[in-house]
Amino acid sequence: MNDRGSRRDRLLSRLVQAAFVIGLLALWYLATTRWGVSHLLLPNPLLVWREFVDVLSSGEFLPDLAVTLGELAIAFLISSFSGVTVGYLISRSQYLIRVFEPLLAGIYSIPIILFLPLYVLLLGLGPASKIALGGTISFFPIVLSTIAGFGYVERIYITAARSMGATYYQLFRYVLLPAALPVILSGLRMGFTVALLSILGSETLASLAGLGHRIVHLAESMDMARMFAYIVFAVAIAALLNTVVSALEARGKRR
Amino acid sequence: MNVSVNAAAADPRPAAFYLRIVHGIKRRPWIARLLVIAALILMWEVAARYLVDPMFLSPPSRVATSFDMLFATPGVPAALQATLWELAVAFLISVVIGLPLGLAIGLSRFSYRSFMPIVMLLYGTPQITILPIFILYFGIGPASKIAFGVSHGIFPIVITVVAGVQNIKPILLTSARSMGANRWQIFRWVVFPHMIPSFFAGMRLGMTGVLLGVLLAELYVSTAGIGYFTTMFTQNFDSTRLLGLITTLAAMAVILNEAVRRAELHFGRWRRFEAGRQA
Amino acid sequence: MTANNIAVKIRNVSHQFGEKGDRHHVQALQQTSLDIARGELLCLIGPSGCGKSTLLNIIGGLVKPTSGTVEIGNTVVDGPLPQEIAFVFQENALFPWNTVLENVMLGLMFQGVPRAERMARAQKSLAAVGLADFMHHYPGQLSGGMRQRAALARALSLQTNILLMDEPFGALDEQTRMILGEDLSVLLARSGKTIVFVTHSLGEAVFLADRVAVFSARPGTIKDVIAVDEPHPRKPEFVTTDKFTTLRNKLYTLLHDEIRRAAAEAGERPTAADIAT
Repeated sequence: MNDRGSRRDRLLSRLVQAAFVIGLLALWYLATTRWGVSHLLLPNPLLVWREFVDVLSSGEFLPDLAVTLGELAIAFLISSFSGVTVGYLISRSQYLIRVFEPLLAGIYSIPIILFLPLYVLLLGLGPASKIALGGTISFFPIVLSTIAGFGYVERIYITAARSMGATYYQLFRYVLLPAALPVILSGLRMGFTVALLSILGSETLASLAGLGHRIVHLAESMDMARMFAYIVFAVAIAALLNTVVSALEARGKRR
Repeated sequence: MNVSVNAAAADPRPAAFYLRIVHGIKRRPWIARLLVIAALILMWEVAARYLVDPMFLSPPSRVATSFDMLFATPGVPAALQATLWELAVAFLISVVIGLPLGLAIGLSRFSYRSFMPIVMLLYGTPQITILPIFILYFGIGPASKIAFGVSHGIFPIVITVVAGVQNIKPILLTSARSMGANRWQIFRWVVFPHMIPSFFAGMRLGMTGVLLGVLLAELYVSTAGIGYFTTMFTQNFDSTRLLGLITTLAAMAVILNEAVRRAELHFGRWRRFEAGRQA
Repeated sequence: MTANNIAVKIRNVSHQFGEKGDRHHVQALQQTSLDIARGELLCLIGPSGCGKSTLLNIIGGLVKPTSGTVEIGNTVVDGPLPQEIAFVFQENALFPWNTVLENVMLGLMFQGVPRAERMARAQKSLAAVGLADFMHHYPGQLSGGMRQRAALARALSLQTNILLMDEPFGALDEQTRMILGEDLSVLLARSGKTIVFVTHSLGEAVFLADRVAVFSARPGTIKDVIAVDEPHPRKPEFVTTDKFTTLRNKLYTLLHDEIRRAAAEAGERPTAADIAT
């Protein structure tokens, strides 16, 4: 395979992707303007763009965004602290790992969103139930990866450090922590993503405020163009947050 | 459990007995796990009975004995059946579309480079934001639940099939070629079997996705199906039946997940030998 | 070597990867020629990156040389010749999802052997390498040495005239190599196949080969060919004889400079400046 050939292939692939995106947008535009798809189903993309700009410039998004981000921050704070702490404590003993890891993994495998109605019953429709659910769900990937990070450090590293006379604190700071850090950072990133998704989800299902709720509200009032604008906005925010968190994870791992 | 030296000297039997029990538990983690679960259920019971208003949290004893009342509620069995049906159909569709799609994308370098980024982009978007659109388009009946389930379940399947096809070690392909295998034989006897454990892992994740998608859609629609009952029980502060319903759905999820996991273990046996070797 | 005793004719083979001027351009082989006699065991030995594995792949029809030809019998090699040539690779060329027996039978199927014969031939060759009791194991369950025996059984079952082996014992520890080397010598003494064997190990080359072709550093070409005049099967004690030591030393002298040259090119060799800091 020569260089010139593969460069051409890569260019062709990019063209296919560009064609895909442009084609989709073109279909969307034609569907709403030429092919008579009802604007109650699919709003005109130009209209969506106008609403999007309006939402941004008027700052209408601010209260909902603040609610969502606030819930996310608190939920993640709770789950990361508790997840790392509990994960570390469990990881100290092989026996505890054998007992708890499958248990935690098993619970995480069921859709915990099912418990949202219970949380709403207990805590109401306000932010508390969203934070509680978000914290609960994101706890699991964090605790599991903390266990994996600390619990499965190569024996040889620990043996080597011990043989050189390391105290427990030194062992923790210079061997366990650096070894476990990449895995834990991955877990934190996953926890963050999952927290965001569950908060958006619980706002969609049962809430009085927040981005998820705003989208539902617009759907119910059939304001399609503005709803699409908010969806684009929410997706953009999620993408932004995920990119930032991934970059932080990579930064943390590089050292 | 304090056993003082004096007590041990005075009557050694209870001490040894306790020690034997503790030793037995230490040797069998699954017993400890059951104990932990039992302890959690006990805490739930105590909290529900004495600490929290019964309106908000029903003790497990009452939930367990009220299942007959739950299933006698008109519409609940039908809603559960409908959900199960939606889960099965969504899973089937995800597999039937996901497998060939994954093969198509993974088998050619060009289609991988062209389409995989698109797949990953779509996979990364929070689909919950477009749930209202699914309901608007597909209605409040099973179609929207199935569609939303497929849209969650299909991605892990495609992604893992692509990985299973793409990360086959080149030496295996070279070896087959050196023995005279033609392109079809290489696909049938080398690429395809190599991909199968990944496919089953993908199905496991796909089932998780289908569960999430279908249940989210069900919970969203508060005028029919499961969502109707969760809304009703919540608004009526009927925590007993609500917990019963949630438990039933959770049990359904566990059984489905376990079934796919067992299948994965069976079909992925050779992978574990390889992994064990490299460990 | 008379004309019809030559199994493989390599004529002026050169091979490069990439075009001249490309970043990844590598001249792997330069004007290599060699005649391999029918029934002989020829070792290719040389520093890393000297092109010996490339030459093996070219002989086997897996790679088309940028110039030059290889002839087997009277035909120019232009693709794999599964009826004539069987390969044994360094490692991991057994399909991990099939048992050892299934692996061998699959090879027979690819070659085109009718279904009725496959089981018997597979079992026979597995027995010949001492794996009769492990036929239904998966490669992941076997040790490295046993896996390579299975790979050898697969190649032998194909009953080709030519066997190409690319550092088959490279991933194994010294003791396993020794045992497998001795067993290989016994097996091959009986079969009369033509074998081309790539290795890094000087001792292995002298122990197994009838002739050893020594490669220069990249761009690889055959620097010298050394004959080992000792009948097969080689006795284990051959390793302790003076003849063995002399030949081994000769190889060492030929190779040492090439190895250092190759390492320096690859940037591996620390200079005095590096060590001082």
